[in-house]
Amino acid sequence: MSSSPQPPEDPGIQLRDHTYDGIQEYDQRLPNWWLYTLYGAIAFWVIYWFAYMIAGIMPTDGSRVDTAMAGINAAKMASSIDVTNDDKFWEMSANAVFTDAGKQTFTSLCTPCHLPSMRGKSENPAAVGPDLTDTAWIHGGTPKELFTTVSQGVLAKGMPAWEPVLGQKKTAEVVAYILSHHQKGETITVEIPK
Amino acid sequence: MSADHKPASPRRSVPRPVVDSVTTIASDGSRRDLHPADVHGRFTRARRWSGWALIAFYLVLPWIPVNGHPAVFLDLAERRFHFFGYTLAAQDAWLLFFGVTGLGFALFFLTALFGRLWCGWACPQTVYLEHVYRVIERWIDGDATERRALAAAPLTAAKAAKRVAKHGLYIVASLLITHLFLSYFVSLPEVWHMMHYAPGEHWAAFVFVFAAAGVLYFNFAWFREQLCIVICPYGRLQSALTDDHSLSIGYDAQRGEPRGKLGTPDAGACVDCNRCVQVCPTGIDIRHGLQLECIGCAACIDACDEVMTRVKRPVGLIRYDSFAGLGGGVTRWIRPRTILYGVLLCVGIAVAAFAFTTVKPANFLVFRTGGASYFVGPEDVRNQFMVRLVNKRTEPATFVVTSEGLPAGLRQSGFEAPVTLAPMAESVSPLVLVASRRDYRGPFKFTVRVRDAAQTFTLAREVEFMGPDARLLEDEEHEEREKKAKEHHDPKG
Repeated sequence: MSSSPQPPEDPGIQLRDHTYDGIQEYDQRLPNWWLYTLYGAIAFWVIYWFAYMIAGIMPTDGSRVDTAMAGINAAKMASSIDVTNDDKFWEMSANAVFTDAGKQTFTSLCTPCHLPSMRGKSENPAAVGPDLTDTAWIHGGTPKELFTTVSQGVLAKGMPAWEPVLGQKKTAEVVAYILSHHQKGETITVEIPK
Repeated sequence: MSADHKPASPRRSVPRPVVDSVTTIASDGSRRDLHPADVHGRFTRARRWSGWALIAFYLVLPWIPVNGHPAVFLDLAERRFHFFGYTLAAQDAWLLFFGVTGLGFALFFLTALFGRLWCGWACPQTVYLEHVYRVIERWIDGDATERRALAAAPLTAAKAAKRVAKHGLYIVASLLITHLFLSYFVSLPEVWHMMHYAPGEHWAAFVFVFAAAGVLYFNFAWFREQLCIVICPYGRLQSALTDDHSLSIGYDAQRGEPRGKLGTPDAGACVDCNRCVQVCPTGIDIRHGLQLECIGCAACIDACDEVMTRVKRPVGLIRYDSFAGLGGGVTRWIRPRTILYGVLLCVGIAVAAFAFTTVKPANFLVFRTGGASYFVGPEDVRNQFMVRLVNKRTEPATFVVTSEGLPAGLRQSGFEAPVTLAPMAESVSPLVLVASRRDYRGPFKFTVRVRDAAQTFTLAREVEFMGPDARLLEDEEHEEREKKAKEHHDPKG
């Protein structure tokens, strides 16, 4: 570095008394605006602490999450259906609004195993999934049992749990679509293929 | 303590800078306003043109459509980022790495060579302050002397009118800048649309624009050089990036000292007119050498050159030069530091160019379905995957998904037909692979490939088909067969 010429006039900046390792320190004020940001932060901390921890004026994050979850659950309950009501499923299976939507989901997600015809192993023995159009069921053939199978899956055999992916409504639509290939009151058998 | 406590005299109202303290902070911690004098010259002219060009660039970009979108449009709602017709999706956010490191390396390289060229010529703080806000101030309040007199004058109707006019224009300028800024994120028509509604209708955007305008107003009306001196890290970083051969604005002490008024015998070139101090926007005396406060605006160069021309001495007493050059030596441009920063910058540019030109207009992921990793049935071994496809284009696209490198006899179900996705839509569908026990030879790796129907690009991921060791299955079958054979021979057992 080139040596800089000394200022012609020194207004008298003072040094502090202490010396550490021969290093001294100027005694200069911090900018006032800088100090105000510090005071502001301290004031903010007091208000924040009072509002959240003492007075409870502001909702805590925990209570806000609880409120939001309650709202979500209320909305879910308002639009949820009784999945233990077999008659309801049979009604849905006769309604094209539900079965068309169910067919769409079935086509995009279920056909790799159960085939577009829904006939699975009956159509092609090499298919992964069982026939869903016959009256022989492996995990129960009543609508609510069917819903449980689709909803929770049969993880040991590779049937995924679909309700966490699709939600209750879409899962019920798929069940309605499957039921549209069946008759209410038909004789069903539950058998486990060897 | 210091002379600041003496009653203000015209002499003291122009503070004499010292190296050891910040001119704009008085010894009691209060702020001292600067009133930099007008300056004329080649650098001032060049800076004015480049500043206006930069401002025009900023103001105009959202108005120019390229491929149906504004030239630069960071569409947060759709998470699509348009740059001059080149569109990136949220999935391409990793490219931001190159933006950030590129900016870093470019700054390293430029700083090592040219010092704080950025601060004086291109930083938005300087550009808007010098070419918008100070222009307004100069227009309303007059030159430095008038401004200083006005600041010291008691509040009269005339002064109040000037203050209202000046701050009103500051606020208008701040609001214009922030509205334009918002349009980079929501597009101009949308900003215009939102401006027709009550603030409550678009609360977030309203608060953003007015809070940002408030910050800008505070910054440019009052805070000004404090940002460069106290807040901006770049000024402090530069000491690590520059050396004796980096360009900076410096005073040629060898030529200038000892300074003295015209006619002083044995005096150097500096006539001690103090013009370089009067024009400085951060309130330093460049003759003290390079200081943290210097933003490299070159105002002192123009001021000094003007004086030198008037007194018929060579210009360049204050000039762009390195410490080496100012000390009478030669500036070395090529040195280990510039080579290193240059190489880093070039490597970064090369990798970024590669990354940006190979960005695919789709994204895909293959993951295993929940439950077991593989399924062993009486006839076969099975793996189930989910394939997530994302169309990053703003038009529909059709994708063909295939599995490659599968051993003989392996069956795939799912993705028999091409998948068509709406603009920016995504889908998740199963892909099931079945190996019959007869053909199964143990786990293997294969490739899932996605092509668009027009074959313009292909994406691939290597996936593992998992399963037991083939010998285990054989042993199991062998046992099974023996058991059956035994049963056959000995039905009672």
